[in-house]
Amino acid sequence: MKKVIFQFVVLVSLFFGLWFALSSINWMSIFKIEKLTDDTEIKIGKTVWDLYKKTEKENKNEKALTALDSIVDRICSKNNINRETIKVHIIIKDDINAFAMPGGHLVVYSGLITASDNPDELAGVLAHEISHIELGHVMKKLIKEVGLSVLISMTSGNGGGETIKQVSKILSSSAFDRKLEKEADISAVEYMINANINPEPLAEFLYKLAENKKDETSYESWLSTHPDSKKRAEYILAYSKNKLKNPQPALSDTSWKILKENAAD
Amino acid sequence: MENNFEYQPSDHEAEKASNSYLMSLIALIAGMPLPIINLIASLIFFIGNRKGTYFVRWHCTQALLSQFSVLFINSFGFWWTISIMFGPETISSKYIGYIITMLIFNISEFIATIYSAIQTRKGIHVKWFFYGNLTNLICKA
Repeated sequence: MKKVIFQFVVLVSLFFGLWFALSSINWMSIFKIEKLTDDTEIKIGKTVWDLYKKTEKENKNEKALTALDSIVDRICSKNNINRETIKVHIIIKDDINAFAMPGGHLVVYSGLITASDNPDELAGVLAHEISHIELGHVMKKLIKEVGLSVLISMTSGNGGGETIKQVSKILSSSAFDRKLEKEADISAVEYMINANINPEPLAEFLYKLAENKKDETSYESWLSTHPDSKKRAEYILAYSKNKLKNPQPALSDTSWKILKENAAD
Repeated sequence: MENNFEYQPSDHEAEKASNSYLMSLIALIAGMPLPIINLIASLIFFIGNRKGTYFVRWHCTQALLSQFSVLFINSFGFWWTISIMFGPETISSKYIGYIITMLIFNISEFIATIYSAIQTRKGIHVKWFFYGNLTNLICKA
């Protein structure tokens, strides 16, 4: 009996040992899989963004974009994120919303900027969306909702306008899995802590969303894609407690004023 | 692998014992896309021969038991692949490492099965690492 157990342990260890050893080889770069999916994502992102910007009004105000970029720069540089992979766009719309598109396009509605009480709230939402991009959630969601074959056909130009419209609708107004949302929240808090920005305003912003949902329809956009706001605010607060001693605002008062004034220009 | 058996099996017994491996070999090929098939096939053959002579029963049991490990390995690989194709999972080095490990185990099982089928056909007893001892515990004369 002992011999059987011993041989069983040997066999199981052999299996897991082999698997572990083989997993440590970077097959993704050997087979160039990552590159292929990255290229596909960039192409899909470009296709979706090109169509999306035709249907919406983009704010190209330099002052507003510079201010917004500086928040993203700070989050990226302190978290080893390649800044060039994130492309920030402001869309003039009253809805309070921000979302990530494939290929690192980060879309922020002017409504979100004007509804934020301070730059840290906005930085929190941006950090959350950057997390979705960095954790690869955007493509995961799209593959789940529309399927990989449809996405790939879009890059070859056979997708048709309707599919692209559907994709941008999914991105802007449907929720991620709860698990992915939580991952993005936790990662956003980490990004903010590393960038020395207080994560608590993100929690406050979520409380605000949850409380205002009955009164104002414009609050519904980001809220509808981010359910359970109160619960999320609670774990953001719990996770960020006592982690920062001397946080600095995400933007100076002057830059914040400039951003708010020019958001809907 | 060891090859001592208590008695010298007859030609008829050797043929039946050898067939149990051939059966699991065919089932292994057919069962690659749907791993449960090889288990069912070996199980049917095992039940069919459970009243056979000791040599035949012994080898049918070993052939059946050896299917279990590949059944688990292949089922896991099968569902992992399905969730990559249709679900939220993505290809990773961990997945590719698993598939290669799975292939190595399947090929080893394949070779061992062919070898056992040839040897048992000649009436030579073949006892596999682990499965042989396990069969000894289960299959009594």
